[in-house]
Amino acid sequence: MTIETKLNELAARKEKALGMGGPEKLARRRAEGHMNARERIDVLLDKDTYVESGLFATSHLPEARDKTPADGKIAGFGKINGRPVAVVSNDMTVMGASSSVVNGKKIRHMREVANKSGMPLIFLGESTGARMPDRMGAQGRAILGQDPTEYQRLRQSPWVSALLGSCYGSSTWYSCMSDFVVMRKGALMAVASSRVTSMAINQPVDAEELGGWKLHSETTGLVDAVVDSDEQAIETIKRYLSYLPSHHKEAPPTHEVPAGADGRGQRILDIVPADGSKVYDVRKVVEAIADPGSVFETKPRFGKSLSTSLIRLNGRTVAVIANNPLFKGGAIDVDACNKATSFLVFCDSFNIPIVFLVDQPGFLIGLEGERRAAPSKIINWMNALSLVTVPKVSVIMRKSYGQAYLNMGGGRNSDEVICWPTADLGFMAPEVSVNVLFGVKKEEDPVRYEELLQQVTRDTSAWNLAALYETQNVIDPRETRECLISMLDVHRTRMGSEVGRHLLSNWPTSY
Amino acid sequence: MADTKVISEVTGSIWKVLVAVGDSVEADTPVILVESMKMEIPVLAPDAGVVAEVLVAVGDPVSEGQAVITLKT
Repeated sequence: MTIETKLNELAARKEKALGMGGPEKLARRRAEGHMNARERIDVLLDKDTYVESGLFATSHLPEARDKTPADGKIAGFGKINGRPVAVVSNDMTVMGASSSVVNGKKIRHMREVANKSGMPLIFLGESTGARMPDRMGAQGRAILGQDPTEYQRLRQSPWVSALLGSCYGSSTWYSCMSDFVVMRKGALMAVASSRVTSMAINQPVDAEELGGWKLHSETTGLVDAVVDSDEQAIETIKRYLSYLPSHHKEAPPTHEVPAGADGRGQRILDIVPADGSKVYDVRKVVEAIADPGSVFETKPRFGKSLSTSLIRLNGRTVAVIANNPLFKGGAIDVDACNKATSFLVFCDSFNIPIVFLVDQPGFLIGLEGERRAAPSKIINWMNALSLVTVPKVSVIMRKSYGQAYLNMGGGRNSDEVICWPTADLGFMAPEVSVNVLFGVKKEEDPVRYEELLQQVTRDTSAWNLAALYETQNVIDPRETRECLISMLDVHRTRMGSEVGRHLLSNWPTSY
Repeated sequence: MADTKVISEVTGSIWKVLVAVGDSVEADTPVILVESMKMEIPVLAPDAGVVAEVLVAVGDPVSEGQAVITLKT
């Protein structure tokens, strides 16, 4: 046998593997307007940087070998904006990208390399679940799911997942383990399909209701961003990664500061009413503080009374946790608590300094919150906050009441606390506290009410907090950007090369 | 055209009704102000549409999750 024969065989096998599930299935996808698994990789990675791992892998079952090019999960390495990444792209045209013995080994290899060599791992998800017959019977138990670390997350490097079709089994599980999940409208994520679920509970189930984008972006909070197309999902992944280090032992990358960054804070006085009874959209304040065009909000439809975003300040990645009075007056509900905790865990794991923008009337009290274990959510957040080792700066813009004062970085829970002159440090809305403390209502005894109101609001100003050195500075709101830039510079962890201790790196990826 | 219920996200009392039957509204337009926790908290239209019904009056108590407006969307 000559080398030519061997080379011809190589070329033929390569062609067969790259042909995926065959022209018919690929054409059907194209007709539906969806990219296939290899096209997605092409769009994701820098040109000519892709190196495949396991192109010639197939099902371990001899009878299925011909039908399983790359065994339905395409894996490899490449670069995004010059930085290395590992990627797993699910190929629905090959046995529904079901999980098998061999493709499980491919995913494990990607995980191990990403973790060891320090590069983000990206899952382009779409899958039907465990493959039959691989998973059948006792023998299936003995060959699939043989890696006890399969669902272990220590956040050595960022994991990102895109939900780009029907996601059951591995695409769902890896999304739930990822730091960031983007979902295309029309994609589905659930434990089981609507067909299976419908049979199990013996009633019709609507697929969108079971696992659609509204459910996951508004109710479960499992999805961070929603987009309309595969292309947008991939763009979102690239943008997200631009804020992050490649792994946990380096600082996030710095970017050039765009023109027009200075003087943006002038707008703040027009955005935030001095009267605490009026609300506003805090995201406009975040825009006014951040480098132009650098705000990347996560979970914008979930726990909306608290907005979380990645921004750049003077070219450096910073995380912002901001109360948003536009929704629920900024009162912090259970969803907002979970959102805050997961964001703290993520930021600390990847060395991203945290800024709190504070304007909240307290935790949202009520039956619903108690039923959903609100006390434990509040204290989970405090526990996480106490374990954060990246720099933290808290800006008290207007009200900061009750226990939530501490959750939002007050007291010694930030490295630096800055107040605007409009800061109000009561323990609850003063008008309410007169009633709660003294049982006096305005309409019943207006004179006494006014007297008591004066009493409860006497000591709640920024000046009193500053006099006690519980806030290190009181600033003109228009100077917030500049103040944050200098304070984050002061608190940069120089001795640790801007790398934190990651005491939260094994905390859950969802709550 | 579908009927969309516009929901108050907070418990409180109706402070102001900002629209009338027949008004066209854009998505995210405030349609009602609820007084809650000593703040004027807006109820925002979830989608663009035309106000078909105003279900509350100034001073009415309102609970979290209660519909305050019906929109034709």
